[in-house]
Amino acid sequence: MHITFRSAAYLSTALAVCWPAVSVAQEFDWRAHEGETITFLANSNPLGQLIVANADEFRELTGINLVVDSYQEQQMRQRLMTVMNARSNEVDIFMTLPSREGMQFASAGWYADISDFIENNVSPDYDAQGFGPALMEAATFDGALTGVPLNIEGPLLYYRTDVFEECGLEAPATLDALVDAAASLSDCTDLTPFASRGLAPAVPYTFAGFLRNMGGEYMHDGQSALCAPEAQQALTLYSDLLRDYGPPGVVNYSFQQLTALYRAGRSAMSFQSSNEFGPIMEGGVRLEDTAIIPLPEGPGGSHPTVIGWSLAISSHSSNPDAAWYFLQWATGPEMQARLALEGIAPPREAIAESEDYRAWLSESEVRQQWHDALTVLANTGSSEIGYPIVANPESREYIGQAVADLLLGNGTVEEACARADTALNALIARD
Amino acid sequence: MRVENNQRRQMAMMSLPALVFTVSMIAFPFIYTIWMSFQTYSSTGQITGWGGGNYRRMIDDAQFWNGIWITFYLYALSLVMQLVLGTGLALLLFRAKRLPGILRSLFISPFLMPPVVAGMMWLVILDPSLGAANWILTSLGLPPSDWLASPMMVVPTLAIIDTWQWTPYVALIVLGGLQSLPPSVYEAAEIDGASRRAVFFRITLPLLLPTLVTAMVLRSVDLLRFFDLIYITTQGGPSNHSMTLNIYGFRQGFEFFQLGYASALMVTLSVMVLGAVIALNRLRAGVEW
Repeated sequence: MHITFRSAAYLSTALAVCWPAVSVAQEFDWRAHEGETITFLANSNPLGQLIVANADEFRELTGINLVVDSYQEQQMRQRLMTVMNARSNEVDIFMTLPSREGMQFASAGWYADISDFIENNVSPDYDAQGFGPALMEAATFDGALTGVPLNIEGPLLYYRTDVFEECGLEAPATLDALVDAAASLSDCTDLTPFASRGLAPAVPYTFAGFLRNMGGEYMHDGQSALCAPEAQQALTLYSDLLRDYGPPGVVNYSFQQLTALYRAGRSAMSFQSSNEFGPIMEGGVRLEDTAIIPLPEGPGGSHPTVIGWSLAISSHSSNPDAAWYFLQWATGPEMQARLALEGIAPPREAIAESEDYRAWLSESEVRQQWHDALTVLANTGSSEIGYPIVANPESREYIGQAVADLLLGNGTVEEACARADTALNALIARD
Repeated sequence: MRVENNQRRQMAMMSLPALVFTVSMIAFPFIYTIWMSFQTYSSTGQITGWGGGNYRRMIDDAQFWNGIWITFYLYALSLVMQLVLGTGLALLLFRAKRLPGILRSLFISPFLMPPVVAGMMWLVILDPSLGAANWILTSLGLPPSDWLASPMMVVPTLAIIDTWQWTPYVALIVLGGLQSLPPSVYEAAEIDGASRRAVFFRITLPLLLPTLVTAMVLRSVDLLRFFDLIYITTQGGPSNHSMTLNIYGFRQGFEFFQLGYASALMVTLSVMVLGAVIALNRLRAGVEW
């Protein structure tokens, strides 16, 4: 599902009137499902890890026996697919990325409709309207509410202030300035000047912002548009930056390698997920010498990428009521306030304004910069990382393949984009 | 007559659990996969058609042929290295009879390690920027390598990792073979004054052939289905240069919901593995002594 977050903000106001009022059940009892068992399929990213780390609190609060099944992102989806295709009740609740798989999972009927739960069975302090109707609308497919947001995130440019100062550089304000800065850094320092994702299926997360800022788009008139001049320029810019100024072996780089490289002080700029803020700052060294900004604007303006993970209940769950309790706990204001203090950007506006969060941000300049950059993403960003089609996950493979071809010198940009367009048009037709 | 019938009935009853297990755990999944390979699925996993379309698609799919090439390239490279080094290691262990137990354990420890752990360990060692491998190369004045990120190096690197892990297993099989060779042949060779080289090439190697073919069969089944190490380290990259048929089929099925096409790929791979095992078993029958 494609949602532009600026339009989402406008939509919020309009939908505030339309979104059904949430009736808080006066008799809501957290112990209503005591002794029951549910299974949570978690992604072992920082967000999932933090939820799992706090899970004992949920067990104590509800008496529900929570079983956690935690995997890395791709393995988590493979596990989910096996379970769902078998129509098994082995998973009751799972983490999902609507911008990637929302349309696909909703079409396959994997999400339970939780509209009734959120209207009739919420704890008094849940504040379902705290997300804003636009975010909830983004999780609604064919009138069914499929999930509740856990966070907002997007790629941000982390850079070393000490190295920039040594080399007499300013923070890049445009994509041209970003290239110039990388070139200057390669002359001035031994550090890798610029690092970003190069692993084919992971590339679109970081590449999509370059594409839009260069004025490109994935699809035009129902056809793949990677060979449009603006898209070709974006492909060239992204791959040149990584090939000329990136780390060796960048074609295998995803978020783990980027975090390890930057945290070890081996890269001067890293275009990396906002969710990696916590792991990058572990140990505190990078807190002192890092600044964070959104991706600089290009000829097409500034259209950064912003997405969010959600929690959804399986349509095959045999215990959706207890699963709904876990969903409420994990997406409730108290839990999300706690996650915010660990570097997980909150989807609830009230938390972003809370005193504790403000105090946490004020402890370090880079935290405030991280928050400010995420605010820009939330206000101006787009969630279109892959093609806006049901086969969105497969489309990402072909986008990444075009970049990988250029990184490895497999032909010209015209050849790489033509190969990708052929595969993508076939995919669009199949979709 | 009645006693015989009773015996037969008892034998049938006793072998029934094994038969049920074989049918339910081996035959059923395989037949079900063949059935799925004739179905076409949409991007949401819904069945949209029936027929031989998946097999026709395979013939026109460049990635399928690339997968076959990578599968056999990796297979041949790994198998040759593992047989040569495994035999060498077995000879070393055979001659060094007084080797301390801890050293023997150290030699065989890699294949006791789960492939996922081995993959993660090598991923860290071979990281072009932060890994120990390039640090060692540059410390010796040699140029660094991109290892798993290089289209040229990725398959040899995977073969080296697999060889590191599975050579001790081959060595143990060969060591068993060496220990069962008849000493009288060696005594006769010694009396005739045969050189060590002649003893190895004219006596040891020919007598070891059945053992080596057994090791080849066992390793061939694993190598043609090579999956875990590639999945952990490269996922078929960079740019499909390590995309074996197994990895390709897995990604089609579990990442892109193309269950019919993935099944067709896996049926094809199974036929190849079966063919290789039958061929090697025939070879084994020919070298028995």
